[in-house]
Amino acid sequence: MEDNRRVVITGMGVICATGSTVAQFLAALQEGRQGIKEITLFDCTGYPSSMGAQIDGYEPLDFFDKRELRRLSRDDQFVLIAAHEACADAGLQSTARNGERSGVCLGVGAGGMRSAEAYHRQLLDGKRPRPSLLLPFVPSYATDRLAEHFGFQGPRASITTACSSSATSIAYGAELIKSGEADVMACGGGEALCELTFGGFCSLQVVDPLPCHPFDARRKGLTLGEGAAVLILEDKERALGRGTRIYGELLGYSLGGEAFHITAPEETGKEEARIMNEALQDAGVRPGEVDYINAHGTGTILNDQVETLAIKAVWGEEAHQIPVSSTKSMIGHCLGAAGGLEAVASLLAIQHHFIPPTAGFERGDEVCDLDYCPQPKSTEVRITLSNSFAFGGNCTTLVFGRGDL
Amino acid sequence: MEAVVITGVGVISPLGTGKEAFWQGLVEGRNGIEEIATFDTTPVRSKKGGLVQGFNPKDFIRPLKIRRLDRASQFAIAASRMALEDASLTIGEDVTPERTGIILGSGFCGVVSSEAFHRGQVLRGPGDLNPILFPNTVPNAAASNASIELGIKGPNSTVVQSFCTAEAAMLFASQQLLAKRADVIVTGGVDELSAILYRGWNELRLTAWDAGEGERSAPYDLKRNGFVPGEGAGIMTLERRTDALQRKARIYSQILGVAQTGGATHPGEGVARAISGALQRGGMKTVDFIDGAGNASPRLDRMEAEGLSFALSDRSLDIPISSIKSMIGEGIASGGVRIAADLLIMEQGVIPPTINYEYSDPLCGLRIVREGLKTPVRTILHTGISLDGTYMAIILGRGNGIS
Repeated sequence: MEDNRRVVITGMGVICATGSTVAQFLAALQEGRQGIKEITLFDCTGYPSSMGAQIDGYEPLDFFDKRELRRLSRDDQFVLIAAHEACADAGLQSTARNGERSGVCLGVGAGGMRSAEAYHRQLLDGKRPRPSLLLPFVPSYATDRLAEHFGFQGPRASITTACSSSATSIAYGAELIKSGEADVMACGGGEALCELTFGGFCSLQVVDPLPCHPFDARRKGLTLGEGAAVLILEDKERALGRGTRIYGELLGYSLGGEAFHITAPEETGKEEARIMNEALQDAGVRPGEVDYINAHGTGTILNDQVETLAIKAVWGEEAHQIPVSSTKSMIGHCLGAAGGLEAVASLLAIQHHFIPPTAGFERGDEVCDLDYCPQPKSTEVRITLSNSFAFGGNCTTLVFGRGDL
Repeated sequence: MEAVVITGVGVISPLGTGKEAFWQGLVEGRNGIEEIATFDTTPVRSKKGGLVQGFNPKDFIRPLKIRRLDRASQFAIAASRMALEDASLTIGEDVTPERTGIILGSGFCGVVSSEAFHRGQVLRGPGDLNPILFPNTVPNAAASNASIELGIKGPNSTVVQSFCTAEAAMLFASQQLLAKRADVIVTGGVDELSAILYRGWNELRLTAWDAGEGERSAPYDLKRNGFVPGEGAGIMTLERRTDALQRKARIYSQILGVAQTGGATHPGEGVARAISGALQRGGMKTVDFIDGAGNASPRLDRMEAEGLSFALSDRSLDIPISSIKSMIGEGIASGGVRIAADLLIMEQGVIPPTINYEYSDPLCGLRIVREGLKTPVRTILHTGISLDGTYMAIILGRGNGIS
């Protein structure tokens, strides 16, 4: 076990409703451009909403051949596309450069559910569905495909804690590097829109009929999205040694459970506040040193209220000075990919000196009265905090810092 | 150097609930696999499963709560409760809720609710959806429900990693303890077998069927033709050794080495690299017993034998190996139940048999234990072999809890 290993991010790849590269995603964040439209992947007739942050104009054959596609769900495809960009960005595209010291830890939401739905629907219709539709159903499928494609032969794990999955994948990936189990980890996660999840959130009455409005008084719920984010985490010494670009450092994290309710957050925000405090302590950062909070900010009435209360509990009087935004206002809630996409947004904020906005935010309410940044703004960003809260009270907070801190 | 030890165990298996019943079944070499009666198997080739029988959730959970919990969550709560009690740990007294964690491997937990919810969507349409089902569709429902029921507020996560799901969760848990992010973590695996999952395994042509020898779970046997799907939960209480020694806890085992590798060009090499890595971390050349991952899959058992032979050379012919999947079947998280068995094997000094082993396979040249073997077991190599190129090896050393 090696002590004091530090973990930096040396590569990023993204695909989501506002862009299929990091550069496009960045441009959308800087413009505050929304990627939410009518869902066309499946029929939304009869549901209270038809809004989604769907990836438009996606043509799988642009990226994969027919044979590969028979074994890859939409989610797996997104993960591999993001991984390709991330590995190239980090200079790890050649499998020969990876190997035993490189691992994969991805977050998974519904995973291959879209393929499984197709199987199940045919089965219920009395047909004989193609068995290979079931292959991607095991949640570790995307992790294994990524490892196989890029020759990562080290540790592997797939984190399946719904909305906090990919944030936790970054935390655990970093831990594997700190403990010396690996030098490089591909982390992040993917999500493809599917009918089960969409119907599920509709059944809980937490889907906004309009594009979501996080923290806004008009908010009525979330908008689901899809995409993938892959981040290359690397031992800092190794990264410095090979002179590669460093986007930032994971300074600290906390994974906790609220032990409260399977879907609802603890309403005073004290558990979320505890987890944010633990992450800050782990990072050795005082609350006042944080320049930007990338909120979980789903747009549900309860989440945004409780998260705001928790931020107030941690920052006290200073809470009104710190920029807080929800990038879900632009790319929707991408569940298994959410924490990864938000980590990328946080690191881009650091690298490009700006605060990504809560697009469309107009006015808050008596509880939600913080600075939710309706417009992107240029400013120095040294330290960011990113929240991911999930069903079951799985809370993960990540703290990132500029690479030269 | 700090180490992680195992101080409690909770198990629910086709051989029984609780470590005593489970152990009794293991040493007797009892077959926990039966014809499935709880769902219809006519559409598929296989007929048998390792189902948990006689589990009564009321023994562990208040009746009013039970209704809202799926079977996987009930397993997780019951086994976690047993594991904490077995370790003589009370959350809130011996350890704070915030310093207690739960990291479970999820063997298709949530699939039952997903199937039911989606069936409603397809057959009845969007107008009549059951909101009670949806929260239980996520794979982390089991660990989360257990955290709520037991008041666990520390590191909380759920892992899936093909057939190494429980082992991967245990590595995650160990890392959290060594990084001092918690003082106690319950970890292991939970599998729930359902009609839809059984169908899926059959569709992918992975399960055992009657090709003349009967439908049986026959690891390493020449005539094996697939695994028998199973279910259950094996959950352990983990602590740092210093803490366990300080509170004079009964220590079943110390985790001496863990290694996880991914598919190399030749699968046997990947397996061998995991085994060598774990042995090296444990500073060891050999072990007293191998708890084999053998699940009767023609390819995987051979891959395991190859890996053992590469890593241990001639020693692989001398070390006794047994696969308890011959009695309980395979769930992707059954590594949890196997680790529970490992602890009891070291405690009792008895190696349970690999039942159904009749015809030796020249490609699985191992010393397979066919009758229970009484022998001191101080160290165990626990292997994990998956379909998709994840391999794990864990070296467990006997603790001070010898009866």
